[in-house]
Amino acid sequence: MVDKKNIFLFGYGNFGRQLYKNLFLAGHNIKVLTATAESIVNAQEDKVDLIQINIKRNDDILSLNIDQENDMLYCAMSKTANNLFLVLTLRALFPYADIIAISNSLENTRKLKYAGANSVIDLYEATSRRLINILTKPAVTKAIDEIIYKQNNLKMAEVIIPPRSFLVGMYIKDISFKSMGVVLVAIIDKESEHELVFTDQRLSQQLEAGETLVVVSKIDDLKIFKDLVHSETHPLVSH
Amino acid sequence: MSLPVKKKVITFFKKKIDENTLKQKKHFFLSFAYFIESFNTYRRIKSFVYNLIENDQYSYKKYFDFFMIIVILTSVTLLVIDVKHHIPVWIDEFDFYFVTSIFILEYLARMWVYSDIHKIIIDEYEESRFFDKRLSFFRLFWKIFQNKWGYISSLSAIIDLIAILPSYRGIRILRVLILFRAFKMLRYTKSLNGFIYVLKNKKFELITLLTLVAFFIFIAGIMLYVFEGDNKNPNIHNLFDAFYWALITISTVGYGDIAPVTPEGRMETMVIVIIGIGLIAFGTSLIVASFNERMSVLREEKVIVNVSRKKSLIVICGYGLLGRLVAKGLQKEGLDFIIIDKDEHLISQAFNSGYNTICTDASQGEIFGKLGIEKRISHVLCLTSDDIQNAFIAINVKSLNEKVHVTVRCSDEEIAQKMEFAHIDQVIMPEEIAGMMSAVYAGEPVAFEVLLSIIEEKEKTQIDEIAITKGSFLEHKTIGDVHFDNYRLILLGIFTSKDNGKTLGEFLFNPSDDYYLHVGDRLVCIGYSTAIANLKKRM
Repeated sequence: MVDKKNIFLFGYGNFGRQLYKNLFLAGHNIKVLTATAESIVNAQEDKVDLIQINIKRNDDILSLNIDQENDMLYCAMSKTANNLFLVLTLRALFPYADIIAISNSLENTRKLKYAGANSVIDLYEATSRRLINILTKPAVTKAIDEIIYKQNNLKMAEVIIPPRSFLVGMYIKDISFKSMGVVLVAIIDKESEHELVFTDQRLSQQLEAGETLVVVSKIDDLKIFKDLVHSETHPLVSH
Repeated sequence: MSLPVKKKVITFFKKKIDENTLKQKKHFFLSFAYFIESFNTYRRIKSFVYNLIENDQYSYKKYFDFFMIIVILTSVTLLVIDVKHHIPVWIDEFDFYFVTSIFILEYLARMWVYSDIHKIIIDEYEESRFFDKRLSFFRLFWKIFQNKWGYISSLSAIIDLIAILPSYRGIRILRVLILFRAFKMLRYTKSLNGFIYVLKNKKFELITLLTLVAFFIFIAGIMLYVFEGDNKNPNIHNLFDAFYWALITISTVGYGDIAPVTPEGRMETMVIVIIGIGLIAFGTSLIVASFNERMSVLREEKVIVNVSRKKSLIVICGYGLLGRLVAKGLQKEGLDFIIIDKDEHLISQAFNSGYNTICTDASQGEIFGKLGIEKRISHVLCLTSDDIQNAFIAINVKSLNEKVHVTVRCSDEEIAQKMEFAHIDQVIMPEEIAGMMSAVYAGEPVAFEVLLSIIEEKEKTQIDEIAITKGSFLEHKTIGDVHFDNYRLILLGIFTSKDNGKTLGEFLFNPSDDYYLHVGDRLVCIGYSTAIANLKKRM
């Protein structure tokens, strides 16, 4: 289902532990690296192999053989100062790597982003958002759980339109995603890479090669849909 | 005794009364007591009167208070005008009949609601049945009298009674007692009650201070009398003059009508003026400190009155990093909430942000009782950084009212499991949420970004839910009929209703066009906020 990735997880405190658990369930290859004694005890309890490093020494980190084009680096040290320093070090060593950091406040999110993290997950922000959504939008929260978090049949996924796909040049409103069991949520332009365009604003727009479709679907239907996107003829067109 | 059981007992005894005790003399009181016990209208009237004159939380009490203050001020104004002017007879009679009867009514009403006589009669009767004794009349009346004496002998009741007395016009000096009516105002204004509280609270310190003052006045007065009493000072005729001078001097008021004339007297004055300054500073600081203590209590009372007007209330326990964010979010959503924390420093921060706050220990039942756990509180969020403390608060709340929805923040998985065992509705683990999000990011980074921007409402596009209400235009339509495209909305799925829409049932992802919508179904849609608002409006 998901592409298996090599993940380097720095830190095995409370955050690191949960990260490992979820990443492991998702089936990725994870290497755990840590510097503190507490983390080593945690790892022994959970029977997780870990490598001890000193984050202040570049040699330690370079010896990990990180492939910055493909590997993902998760920074989840318990101490904010260590985490920040780690992000800074990694960014300096690997300018193109994908670095994700855990933060515990808006304040630290800003600092971590400045230090070079591609994405920052704000622990309390996410938790408070969830708490509020449970109170105000219970159905939405549960739907997101079903689609995103639960290990079940539903999935949110990204599908890139290949150059010779039958979809190229078609209007969104003319494609019956529904009959394929797929809900199209957003389209991401190849030029403005980070700008998300939600489908409700672009029903009358043509699809182009290289654009990314963000869809929600059942896993079986998703496989069929991905194959379909690659086909060059029009297998299903509705009016 | 639980209510139904009590009712049974009552009907049982009622029958007994009918059969056996009707011949006895006291049957009248007894059956009357039982009649009142079972008479709902009586109880309703009594509780209304109680609320009106005693219950600060009752919304109409302020009108009653206001009315009483006006009546009192009228009476006092008449007293002042009467000094130099002649008051028309009809106004005097108004003062006599109207004001006095209101005061008498109020006095009796307060005595009435103070306790329930019929309950005493019933209890006594049941007790006598139990021990198979004769019910003694004398004992019964003594009990009732003892009970009501509790009210009659209270300070406020005495003031009330004295305030009625000036109606006997025979003795002129009694007119001054009208001023006791002004004292009555203390009852109707809460802030003045604060002063009485201070007097009570600092009783020991104030008595010490007064004893000291009395002691110094005693010594200083006698000293001056010895120095200047033997005709050296023409203004000091007797010991009373000397004491009067001592008080005026020690209080640093110093009228100067009596002043020492001998060097000894002046020396003495210098010493007692210095002592006086010290005593006054001591007294002032005492009262100020006590008022400060009182301020936080007054503020809390105000907060409780504020929230008692709300229909549904969320309680946030703990104002740490998470509590802060949640409070901000709830504020934005327009929900009513109150923050409880033990830490005074955190509470003052929350207070400065304009939230309703109370500084207390949320693991104790008292505060939840005050906030109305039985009717008002819908959710309690335990968000302190200490798992054990959160568990403590959650169990406290659940033991008070099981129906309240309790959410607990927890970092330890083992504690989380125990929470589920204690029937806590929701356990939320920040680390777990971050972990889940990270896993999604590793798999589908772009999808993750999309999701994040929708959830965090950074874009104009939102994800929201729309419930199908009875009689709405969507009821009994199929998905195909609705044409979500025309509403510019993406239908993600539907939650079917369970238990008449109270809980969420199954999630139907991407339902087919021939699905019939039912009342209680919830549509989960993605779209522009305006598009969602548009559909909600049409509902």
